[in-house]
Amino acid sequence: MLKNILNKIKEFDTAEDKEVRSSKLYGKAALYNTPNEITEAAAVVAGKGYKKFDIYTPYPLHGMDTAMGLPPPKIGYVSFIMGITGTILALVMMIWMSSIDYPNIIGGKPFFGLPGAIPITFESTVLLCGIATVLGLLILFSKMPKLNSPLNDTDFMKHVTSDKFGLVIETGDEMYIEDEVLNLFSKTNAYEVQDIYFRESNLTKKTPLFDKKFTMAIIITGLMTAGVAYVTLNYVLYETVPFNWMWQQGRIDAQSKSDFFPNQSGMRPPVEGTVARGFVPYEYQGMPDSVVKLLSNPVPVTVKSLERGQDRFNIYCSPCHGYTGDGDGRLRDQFPKPPSLHNEKVKNWPDGNIFHVMTNGQNVMPSYSEQVSKEDRWAIVNYIRALQRAKDASEEDLEKAK
Amino acid sequence: MDYTKKPLPPIVAKLGTGLLGVGLVLVVLSFVTDTHRAFFDYLWMYMFLVSIGVGSLALVALEYLVGATWSTPFRRISEFLAALIPLLVILVIPLIFGMHDLFHWTHEETLLNDPLLQAKSAYLNVPFFLIRTAIILLIWVVFYFLFIRNSLKQDDTRDPLLTKQSIKFSAAFAILFMFTITFIAIDWMMSLEYHWFSTMFGVYYFAGTMVAAFAAGTFCSVQLNENGYLVSNIKDNNYYSFATLLFGFNVFWAYIGFSQYMLIWYADIPEETFWIMMRMKGSWSYFSIGLIFVHFVIPFLILLPRSSKVKPKLLTVISIWLLFAHAYDLYWIIMPSYFTEGFVFGWSELGFLMFAFGLIITVFRMRAAKSNLVPVGDPKLEAGLNFHLN
Amino acid sequence: MSLDATYTKEIPLVEGGVSFKDIDSVIALPTETKPTKGWWIAFLISLTALTIGAVSLGLTIYYGIGMWGNNQPVGWAFGIINFVFWIGIGHAGTLISAILYLFRQKWRTGIARFAEAMTIFAVMTAGIFPIVHTGRPWLAGYLIPLPNMNGVWVNFYSPLLWDVFAVSTYFTISFLFWGIGLIPDLATLRDKTTSKVKKTIYSVMSLGWTNSNRNWSNYERAYLILAGISTPLVLSVHSIVSFDFAVSVIPGWHTTIFPPYFVAGAIFSGFGMVSTILIIVRKIFNLKHIITLNHLETMNKILLATGMMVGYAYGMEFFIAWYSGNTFEQFIFINRAFGPYAWAYWIMVSCNVIFPQLFWFKKIRRSIPITMVLVLLVNVGMWFERFVIIVTSLHRDFLPSSWAMFTPTLTDLGLLLGSFGFFFTFLLLFLKTLPLVSISEVKAVMPGAQPTVHPHPVKEQLKITN
Repeated sequence: MLKNILNKIKEFDTAEDKEVRSSKLYGKAALYNTPNEITEAAAVVAGKGYKKFDIYTPYPLHGMDTAMGLPPPKIGYVSFIMGITGTILALVMMIWMSSIDYPNIIGGKPFFGLPGAIPITFESTVLLCGIATVLGLLILFSKMPKLNSPLNDTDFMKHVTSDKFGLVIETGDEMYIEDEVLNLFSKTNAYEVQDIYFRESNLTKKTPLFDKKFTMAIIITGLMTAGVAYVTLNYVLYETVPFNWMWQQGRIDAQSKSDFFPNQSGMRPPVEGTVARGFVPYEYQGMPDSVVKLLSNPVPVTVKSLERGQDRFNIYCSPCHGYTGDGDGRLRDQFPKPPSLHNEKVKNWPDGNIFHVMTNGQNVMPSYSEQVSKEDRWAIVNYIRALQRAKDASEEDLEKAK
Repeated sequence: MDYTKKPLPPIVAKLGTGLLGVGLVLVVLSFVTDTHRAFFDYLWMYMFLVSIGVGSLALVALEYLVGATWSTPFRRISEFLAALIPLLVILVIPLIFGMHDLFHWTHEETLLNDPLLQAKSAYLNVPFFLIRTAIILLIWVVFYFLFIRNSLKQDDTRDPLLTKQSIKFSAAFAILFMFTITFIAIDWMMSLEYHWFSTMFGVYYFAGTMVAAFAAGTFCSVQLNENGYLVSNIKDNNYYSFATLLFGFNVFWAYIGFSQYMLIWYADIPEETFWIMMRMKGSWSYFSIGLIFVHFVIPFLILLPRSSKVKPKLLTVISIWLLFAHAYDLYWIIMPSYFTEGFVFGWSELGFLMFAFGLIITVFRMRAAKSNLVPVGDPKLEAGLNFHLN
Repeated sequence: MSLDATYTKEIPLVEGGVSFKDIDSVIALPTETKPTKGWWIAFLISLTALTIGAVSLGLTIYYGIGMWGNNQPVGWAFGIINFVFWIGIGHAGTLISAILYLFRQKWRTGIARFAEAMTIFAVMTAGIFPIVHTGRPWLAGYLIPLPNMNGVWVNFYSPLLWDVFAVSTYFTISFLFWGIGLIPDLATLRDKTTSKVKKTIYSVMSLGWTNSNRNWSNYERAYLILAGISTPLVLSVHSIVSFDFAVSVIPGWHTTIFPPYFVAGAIFSGFGMVSTILIIVRKIFNLKHIITLNHLETMNKILLATGMMVGYAYGMEFFIAWYSGNTFEQFIFINRAFGPYAWAYWIMVSCNVIFPQLFWFKKIRRSIPITMVLVLLVNVGMWFERFVIIVTSLHRDFLPSSWAMFTPTLTDLGLLLGSFGFFFTFLLLFLKTLPLVSISEVKAVMPGAQPTVHPHPVKEQLKITN
């Protein structure tokens, strides 16, 4: 199988060129030996008024454009116009995207800051200008691809791409007269004259681009590429590490099963007596009030602690006890009314007792140790003391306050 | 080659002397009325003359170094423009007396109260400053005489070895030029605002001097050539080269200027941006935006089409335009330190500008009267006259 | 001083009195013959390096860039160093083909094609690194301003985005430049070859080019325009690469001289690499008549000049760091020269500034073995320049608590080696498949190639008799 293919390729590679040209003459071609001869010949031909003639040289010759009487090349206009287009497109794109469609402040700069936009504007100008120049040269000005040009695959072409200089006058020129042309060639020291015939395909005026087979091949290639891309992007990549957006990761979700431990739990239970960070247990949990003499207030009375206490008190205590501790909170009549914090019992309690009630709860009041931190509870104690003192204010205090 | 020396037309002498005379009167008047402002104007003028004189010498060196032939028929013109260099030594003297007016860092009380200045006082102090300026001027003068001596000698002896020697001088000068132009820019212009610093500053001034010196050379070359003072038959190909290089130098200036501005704008560090902010205050902001158009956009668009590169009239206009653009650029660098609220262009500034142009023309005329306008003995001359682009 | 005043004469660009036909055969020879043993050895070495690189790349893509030695605060290291290094190498090609074309330096013809190919491969190599550095290279489409489901656009003020535009533009334009230069040569090969398979391939690739002067006329102008736009493009690309660093506020990175400094460095390193490879290529493929000693000498002069520009920038940075009075700036520069990475700094200075000073001597400029050593040192020095700029500026952050050292991992080294493998594999394939010297351009500068007469058409209207 493989051998067969290889043989076929080899056969094709070494086969004789079997192309048969039509009998219609494309033009007369003359070959010259030196650059000077060809330049002079070009000037003579141009001077005679031929239009459909061309010079073929292995490399560009200086002064040939003048000798042939060619107008200056126009490709610069294409480059210039497309370059300007690139500039404008880049600026419009950046202005629209970064200051109209989705304005974003970046680094304290304006939405559109020209100095920062210059690099991209410049690159875009060059990109469009360059692509336009090349495409313009190949397609607009050189009419390429022209693989089936009558001149290609001829002996003449073999010479002018290597070391000879050629001149072709086409039969299509309105001044074409064979004798005159041959005369001209011999006068200008052409060392050889050749006939160039049209290919059959040149005469049918069919563009190979629209050939049925070719078009089908393009369509099939396109469809296959699109199909492979679609499947890869939508199915293959979404399942494959590392392209799958980190959906699969080396971790165990909460409550999920794992085979790592014998009891198939994903996590180990904490060791007995483990204390979570920041959750120091209350050592007199559930004990009677009598233990309170062991507790002393660690939070000194400062403006800061009182403010903190007021803050916490207003959030957690005031719903029942009221903002002043009179027991007339916002929940009155919906919940058992708590006793006033200003009665003699509470006033005579040591600080620790109030703390103990807050931490341990009392009657219908639950423990607040979950919501209020230890320091904050002591701060609330301080604040309650302040409330009690304020309730007892005398004339003297007014004087002092002044 | 058919070169016969012709004396320059009398209009040159008249123009030069006229500008010089009127300029001198205005300069003196300026010093009498407002000494402080006059010193800033004087510095501006001095830096402009440095650009033309030293820049021209650098162009001469560049030609030797890269072995360019197209510019050989015009090399004398740059050499004559470089004749400003010996004068720079004399012209610097008034500036030395104006240092107190120009530079804040020379003030005793500034030094005492400014820790940043104390940190750099090993560099920014008057004796070292003067020594640096003296060394730099000495280097320029020595190389000027070396180059011009060799070049003039070659007119008589036609000795190609002199060219070889000049190539060696050029290699040495190219390096020294880069350092001298950098330090003259740092000393005389950057230290006006002694807190400010930019590593690009030397390159920025260098780019400016190249534009100015090349514009001056282009102007003189085209004028002299069109009126038949040089070897006949020099045309399009050489003009095209002038225009292309002018274009190239100018784009290079814009590139350097843009990079310096953009980097400061983007990083937004107060110790750098204040220099830009000084140039954005009041009417200075219009002046700054004007700089972009005067120095870059307009010359760029005019010089871009291929057809405009071979028109001698257009080249004349654009080279004069770029000379003024460089003066504009230097004004933008120097004057915000004096006119802090907004730019002012009065008779005083005009006088200094006239004086500068008068001086350039006069020096050129006097130098040109003494020698050939074409380096007739240069071995590269023949190639330069037959220069073809393709 | 001897009396040979060679500078006054045109130095012949092609030596040994060869003819046009000889040029065809000498240049086409490598494409027509089976690879030699030397080529195979070189190819296998490159392929091995490429494989190592591919494995490292695979590891990086699979596990992420944690495989690299990057850390806090050295967040940029080998990836960006290699990127800047290869982009820099890529600058010589366009410089030779565009800037020297504009300056009418005819000696460029012998080396332009080869250098352009090098540019393309170097830019391809460089392009790998920033894309991989994004961490998820398969999402690189987000670098392009395309509408997406988030409704947000790319940040046009990020120098990294400027890089995307600059590098892709640079690659495209270099490729086009190289491509249209190849067309006439492919036409020559098409008509020279006897194999029909090759002929078909060359025919398609040359798009049916006929060497017609009406086409040459536009071709030359298009070439000039491309050279004209490539010149500022070369400057802009490495300037934009320098902006990656210079727009930041990192001491040692934020300095205004960076753009021209980087461009000079890029040309310097590019010429270093071109010289290194050319010296070998001209020997292996027997191109001594086309790539002459004069070419190498001129390149050495350019190396000397650009090396000094780089030296100027080193000096200026140091001086202004001191002059600024900014203690952070001063610290970073003293740390560069005398800190833990001082060895890298001094490798950089000696390879880039000190050793190239030897090129002042004509004898050394024209001695191939010494040139070879020096240009190899330039390659090393320029890699270390990027190392110094990136690593030493980052490894000492503003706070001493965030100081760290950078150590490359095996993956880092594998990628560096792989980048050379990638580059040389492409280069070696290019050498065997396409003409490595521009045939038409070399022919055009040969002695006697251009007409000495410049006639204008003489109007003598032919009488139409019938």
